[in-house]
Amino acid sequence: MIVCQNLSKSYPMGHGRKHVLRDLSLRVNPADKIALLGRNGAGKSTFIKLLGGVELPTSGTIRRTMSISWPLGFNGGFQGSLTGYDNARFIARIYGKPYDWMKDFIEDFTELGRQLNMPVKTYSSGMRARLAFGLSLAIDFDCYLIDEIILVGDANFREKCHYELFERRKDRTLILASHDMGAIRDFCNRAVVFRDGQATETDDVARAIEEYERL
Amino acid sequence: MSSVKPSRLRQGLKVQGRVIHALIIRELITRFGRENIGFLWMMVEPLLFAGLVAIIWRMMRGSEEHGVSIVAFVVTGYIPLTLFRHVVGRSVAIFQANSSLMYHRQIQILDFVIVRFLIEMLGTMMAFVFIATILICFDAFPIPADPGLMIAGWLVYCAFSFSLCLMIAPLSEMSEVLEKFLPVTTYIMIPFSGSFTMVSWLSPGLRQYILWSPFVNGVEMMRGGIWGEHLVVYYDVWYPLGVSMIFSAIGLVLIRRVRRKIVVE
Repeated sequence: MIVCQNLSKSYPMGHGRKHVLRDLSLRVNPADKIALLGRNGAGKSTFIKLLGGVELPTSGTIRRTMSISWPLGFNGGFQGSLTGYDNARFIARIYGKPYDWMKDFIEDFTELGRQLNMPVKTYSSGMRARLAFGLSLAIDFDCYLIDEIILVGDANFREKCHYELFERRKDRTLILASHDMGAIRDFCNRAVVFRDGQATETDDVARAIEEYERL
Repeated sequence: MSSVKPSRLRQGLKVQGRVIHALIIRELITRFGRENIGFLWMMVEPLLFAGLVAIIWRMMRGSEEHGVSIVAFVVTGYIPLTLFRHVVGRSVAIFQANSSLMYHRQIQILDFVIVRFLIEMLGTMMAFVFIATILICFDAFPIPADPGLMIAGWLVYCAFSFSLCLMIAPLSEMSEVLEKFLPVTTYIMIPFSGSFTMVSWLSPGLRQYILWSPFVNGVEMMRGGIWGEHLVVYYDVWYPLGVSMIFSAIGLVLIRRVRRKIVVE
C-alpha cells in the first residue's frame, strides 16, 4: 500500500514559488491500476517522482509498505557513459539480484544484442525504454511507476510490455502517466486528473477521460 | 520489538554495503575506464605529484634539511596534501553531478561523498605505500619506527578531510560563490597543512597557534611514526578528532537540508 497525505510540492521561481502540487492525498491499494491524466506540466511526472522518492515533497508524507520501482521514464536511473551491461550490473548490485540471471533476462527481454556493449548515451529513446523496462521487470517490484515510456516502443516492444505487465503481473500495482487513452481505458481501474496543481481522484475512468479531453 | 531492531539494522547495513560497493565500481569505471591499467590510475596522480615535487626539492635544497631526508619529507607532506585537495575538489557540486542516481531510493546523497572520499583515500594510500617501498629499497626513506602512530596520524588527517567534505558538498550546492573561492582557499591553506614545515621549526610561542590546524596534528603524528626519535613532534589526538566530529555533525545537517531541495531531471 502507498498512502500519500497532504502532499505539496513547489519549486523556487524568480522571487516566488511555483506550486506544482497542492494538498494531494491518495491511497494506493495493491493491484490498483491508476492512470494519471493531465496536460503537459500539470504535475503528473512530479507526482511520480515523489512516489518514487526521487524528489522529496515540500510538505506532506508518503508511507510505503510495498516495493516501488524507480520512475520509468525517458531519463534517470542510467549512467549514459556506461554500457547497457554495466548499468545492468550496477542495478543488480544495488538491488541485491544475481547478475548472471539479470543479464540473461535483459538480453532476452530487450533484444538489443551487441548494442548492450555500447554506452547508453548512444541509444535511441526506444532502446532506452527497452533497457529501463527490462531492468525494472528483472527486479520484480510490487508497484511500477511508469512515466509515458510504454508509448515510445515499437509494436513488438508494446506487445511484450503488455504481456509482462498486464498478464504475467496482473496482481501488481501500476501507476501510469500517459496520454494514450486507449491503454488507460483498457487497463486502469482508477484515475487521477491533474489540473492547476489540484488533483481529483475517481474510480470512474471513463468520466476522468472525458474530463481530461475537455481540459 | 527488541528482536526486530537488530535485524533491521543488519538489513540496513547490508544494503549500505551493497550500495557503496556498486557506487565505487561505477565511479572507477566512469573515471578510469577499463583500458590499460584501469583503476590503478587512481594512484598515479598522487604518485607523480609527490614523486616529481620530491625530485625538484631534492635538486634545489640538497639531500637533507633539519636532519631528515628531503625526499622522504616531501613525500610524507605531499601525499596527505594531495588527498585534501582532491577530496575537497571532488565534493563540489557532487549532488547535481550524481542526481540521476537519486532514482534509486536505497542510494542516499551521503553515499556519494563517502564513495568519492574512499576512492581518493585508497588511491593516495596506495601511492604512499608504493613510493615509500621504492624509497626504502634505495635507502632514501626510513623504515617506520612506530607504524601504529603513522597510521593513526593518517586516519586523523583523513577524518578531518572527510568532515570538510561533508560540509563543502552541501554548501557548494547552496552557494555558487563557494565554488569560486575554493581553489584559492585550498592553496592558501598549504602553509597551515603541515606538509612542508614541522612544528618544531617554529619558535615556541608560535607552535600552539599552528597546532590549531587539525591537519598539522595529523601530519606531525605521521612523521613522528615514521622517524621516531629522530624528530621532535607536537600533536594532540583529540583536538582534530573533536573538530572533525563537529564539522561532520554540521555537514550531515546541511546534507539533510539540501536533499529536500534537490531537483532531479
